[in-house]
Amino acid sequence: MTKFKNVTRFKISGLNQEKLLNEISKTCSLKGVDRLSKNETVFECSYFSHKKVEKILKNKNIEVLEKQHFGIVSKFKQMATSYGLVVAIILFSVFCVVQNQFIVQYEIVGTKNLSRTEIVEFIKNNFSHNKYLIDTENVEIGLVETFDQISFASCIVKGQTVVVNIKEKLMPDEMLGNFLPIIANKDGKITKIELISGTAVVKVGDYVTKGSVLVEPYTIDTSGKLMEVEAKAKISAEVYNQDSVEHYENSVEILRTGKVVEHSEITLFGLSIYNLKPEMNFEYYETEVSHVNLIENIFLPFKMKKTVYYELEKRIISSNFEEVEQEFIEKARKKALEICKNCDTIKEEYYTIRHVAGVDIINYCIVTLEEIGVTNVG
Amino acid sequence: MFNFLGEIKENLKTSKNVDFNSFNIINISGKMLYVEGHLGLVTLSKELISFKVKKGVVLVEGKDMVLSELSENTIKIVGVISKVEQL
Repeated sequence: MTKFKNVTRFKISGLNQEKLLNEISKTCSLKGVDRLSKNETVFECSYFSHKKVEKILKNKNIEVLEKQHFGIVSKFKQMATSYGLVVAIILFSVFCVVQNQFIVQYEIVGTKNLSRTEIVEFIKNNFSHNKYLIDTENVEIGLVETFDQISFASCIVKGQTVVVNIKEKLMPDEMLGNFLPIIANKDGKITKIELISGTAVVKVGDYVTKGSVLVEPYTIDTSGKLMEVEAKAKISAEVYNQDSVEHYENSVEILRTGKVVEHSEITLFGLSIYNLKPEMNFEYYETEVSHVNLIENIFLPFKMKKTVYYELEKRIISSNFEEVEQEFIEKARKKALEICKNCDTIKEEYYTIRHVAGVDIINYCIVTLEEIGVTNVG
Repeated sequence: MFNFLGEIKENLKTSKNVDFNSFNIINISGKMLYVEGHLGLVTLSKELISFKVKKGVVLVEGKDMVLSELSENTIKIVGVISKVEQL
């Protein structure tokens, strides 16, 4: 029960304690007076009188060994006198109050073509960041006046968020285009043009090179006035995908003989501290170098550099072209197919063979039908 | 503390033979002793507690005695009380 009563328990040490207790009892009522030993006594007094008791004890030069407070009042007072906590609570409250006044987030709803970042930047730069000072009506007017694409805007402040609902103007597709020309992405011969919008600058049968303009992003009306539109067209062309392979009657092949010599070197901080380099008499060789940390330790970074020498030999290989002709034609075809691997329609295939000073050159060409027009973005 | 002796005094106001102004002691089953009108503690230990009264000193002997309450003129002793003597 003591814990719930507002009392203070003293444990004191001193002489003539009976006299002391008599004196204290004149000031306040004492409870639980227990003589522990000749010089030590424990007693309790009301929490509200503990200062008076302390004063008497001090005047009598009595040593207070222990002092404990019990009860709600003492706990509350202890909390109230914890200045750090009080200061923290005050600062936190001030922070909350101040921070609560500002807009933290901008939520833009309903944009398709307009950039949300642009709208947020506009609001941030032109209107208050304080949620109590921002005039939502002015934000709405400002948005509609500044951005041509906006037909309607509504703005509300919800908590610390500004919510802007935007309805964009409906514009014809042609006006939303990039107004960039269609250009050829491959060399080829135009076979078909399906123009949707814009002005075609090539015709069927024309040979075009990669990068040349096919459709310009404008139209000229009957009055001769030029009007920008999005260039749209389907342009097909015969594309010549060709590649070649070469066959040599005599060629040199380099092979490893299987003989190997290893050199090792151990270093510390880049300085060589051990070398093992057996004799190496290879005429032709290739090397492989590897570096290995001998110890996983940053203080002593021992490293080993290992160099492996592989002996090589050269062989002259003679080959008759007639024997491998089909194989080389297939190689050339595969290389040509690599170029047009995304193409569906192969119109024609052919190859040519040329013999020049011991070299046979096989040129393979695959003619495909492809759409070659792309809009040059950026 | 509830001063029940005060109540008794009130009831016995007319009796002139009884002197209530000195001191009054009530021993409850040898476990608790209530004293009213003491003039100061003289000895305090677990075995012996003595205090001054108007006409002398009262000795209380026992075991494990504790002063449950001590105010300017009242004392409540709790423990095993074996003897109460006035000198």
